[in-house]
Amino acid sequence: MIAAALSIARVKFVLEIRRREVIFAMLLFIAATIVIVHFALSGDAGAGNRAAAGMLWAAVVFTAVLGLQRTFAAEQEEGALDALLLAPIDRAAIWIGAALAQFGFLIVVQLVAVPIWWLLFFQNGGPSLPTVLIALVLADLGIALVGTLAAALALGARTRDVLLPVLVLPLVIPIVLAGVTATYGAFGEEVGGLRPLGFLALYDLVFVALAWGTSEHLLGD
Amino acid sequence: MIARPATMIPLILSSILIPLTLAMAFWWTAEDIDQGLSQKIFYFHVPIALTSYVAFGFGAVSAAMYLWRRTEVWDLRSYVGVHSGTIFGTLVLLTGPIWAKASWGVWWNWGDRQINVFLILFLYYCAYFMLRFSLDEGERRRTASAVFALLGVGLIPLSFLAVRIAETLIHPTVFSSSGAAMPNSFLLTFLVGFAGMLSLMALLISVELRGKRTAARVLELQRAARGEDA
Amino acid sequence: MLPPEVTLTECSKRFGERLALRKANLTIAAGETIVLLGPNGAGKSTLLRLAAGLLRPTAGSARINGVDATSAPRNLRAGMAYAGHRSQLYRGLTARENLELHARLHGQPDIDVLALLEQAGLGDRAEERIDGFSRGMLQRLALVRATAHHPVLLLLDEPASGLDADGRALLDQTLRAGLGIRTQVIASHDHDLPTRLAVRTIRLAAGSIA
Repeated sequence: MIAAALSIARVKFVLEIRRREVIFAMLLFIAATIVIVHFALSGDAGAGNRAAAGMLWAAVVFTAVLGLQRTFAAEQEEGALDALLLAPIDRAAIWIGAALAQFGFLIVVQLVAVPIWWLLFFQNGGPSLPTVLIALVLADLGIALVGTLAAALALGARTRDVLLPVLVLPLVIPIVLAGVTATYGAFGEEVGGLRPLGFLALYDLVFVALAWGTSEHLLGD
Repeated sequence: MIARPATMIPLILSSILIPLTLAMAFWWTAEDIDQGLSQKIFYFHVPIALTSYVAFGFGAVSAAMYLWRRTEVWDLRSYVGVHSGTIFGTLVLLTGPIWAKASWGVWWNWGDRQINVFLILFLYYCAYFMLRFSLDEGERRRTASAVFALLGVGLIPLSFLAVRIAETLIHPTVFSSSGAAMPNSFLLTFLVGFAGMLSLMALLISVELRGKRTAARVLELQRAARGEDA
Repeated sequence: MLPPEVTLTECSKRFGERLALRKANLTIAAGETIVLLGPNGAGKSTLLRLAAGLLRPTAGSARINGVDATSAPRNLRAGMAYAGHRSQLYRGLTARENLELHARLHGQPDIDVLALLEQAGLGDRAEERIDGFSRGMLQRLALVRATAHHPVLLLLDEPASGLDADGRALLDQTLRAGLGIRTQVIASHDHDLPTRLAVRTIRLAAGSIA
């Protein structure tokens, strides 16, 4: 199962490296979102650590949704999804492989975006970076998992492009809540220690379990 | 009028219990020291919220049954459960501001943990309908709806936890009268209110399910009449 | 693996208001080859997809060796192949990479993919991304993909469409090689095909088997 998922994930990475369709769009989008939110919250509201934390997470989530739109695009071009469904692999491997690829894209995008965020907002020292990074990694995993599942649900819907954000955003609100809280913690605020990070891990576990159980039924017709 | 027990019993129960709750709330229980008369809405607001969780739970269990058994009736049950849950959820979002205005003078209290959770769930279950109605009728629609209904059930406790963990962002307002140290009269009224709302939910589900199943049956008969079996 | 028997029993499939296949009853014996003939929209593609387990019947059943096609276990799927109207390939990958993925997913990573491409006349385009391939070449590659893992059940939906003379020869050769060895169901517009292969014909019209 893992082997199949990794094969699928590797194919999606290779395709992205060759076509570079999604990554650049996501990079530009995350930068633009941070700038827009910063300008939108001008004045006192836009200054300070809390605002910076909020901007990062809002940008991460919206950028992720953008990337998720293209999750199964390669499979749909020539009907490769049929081949994957018929192959003697666990159906869950298809979803996990796609999710791993999305996770990878998110990490790559954030490797660029986080330093930029830092430079823009923290002239004199910033948050404790390890905490923020761990929070982002855990969050990216959760977003990739539920987002890929939602993308699979939306396959075959006429209004796929507008439907996907509607399905994904409510699901990731808890991630934003915990992620922002964890980032406040990284600034030294009292947030209950590792609880926000623990929550993100729990979120990932719950949805891996739920989605695994249901993905068997999911991708057929 | 012939009505089945599944409809008659909830109808009778809710038509007794809900007025009873009103009576108990206004004439029997004492007025709350801190919040006064506005506290009374607690006997409706919280039962409505809890009932919507029960409805979503019913929707999720039916969804699981659909994925297991693949018979259409489970899909209809799941849909009706989610639909009722959303109706009650809408009521929560409507009674919430009323309570908030009466208690704290603002239309929306971001410190109300319950209502924050409901915002998330309301958005999620509205998405359920968007998903369902953007897919053509058939296997895929039923499967996708079932999976989404099931995921929702995971979202409910996680949303609660997330809102609690995010307390530095959302300063919670603590309710004096909603803890376990409630006087008996309050608790009893609350329970009657809860039972009443559950009966109302059962009534809604029963009526809507009946309607949907009849419509499905009519469609089946029309097809058979045209000579197209199945 | 032995070739399986495919059985459709009172099998119907509805898409919204449209009944695509109506109470189909069909048994294809183990190792038998049959050709499905019929006009466009007759239900040939639907029947093949039901047999492949890619669609769930609205009523009735589609079984492979007695097992519901949609819940075919992995070892059964390992011996199945379906080629539909689309090539089921990844446009951004080369011909070789597509076949290698197919081989890996079928648990046979050692298949000599280049040799197969040579035999199909695609050897010199093996390292090219398939988004540059013509329709006919994609069809040929799809055929190679379908047979690469030595399936015992081959379901082909109008495999000759878009093929040139060489391609059609390859197809005929592939089908002949499978006679008696694997169960083959081919939907086609070629009315001579069943005669050439000396196999049974099933005619479909408006969703019903004639």
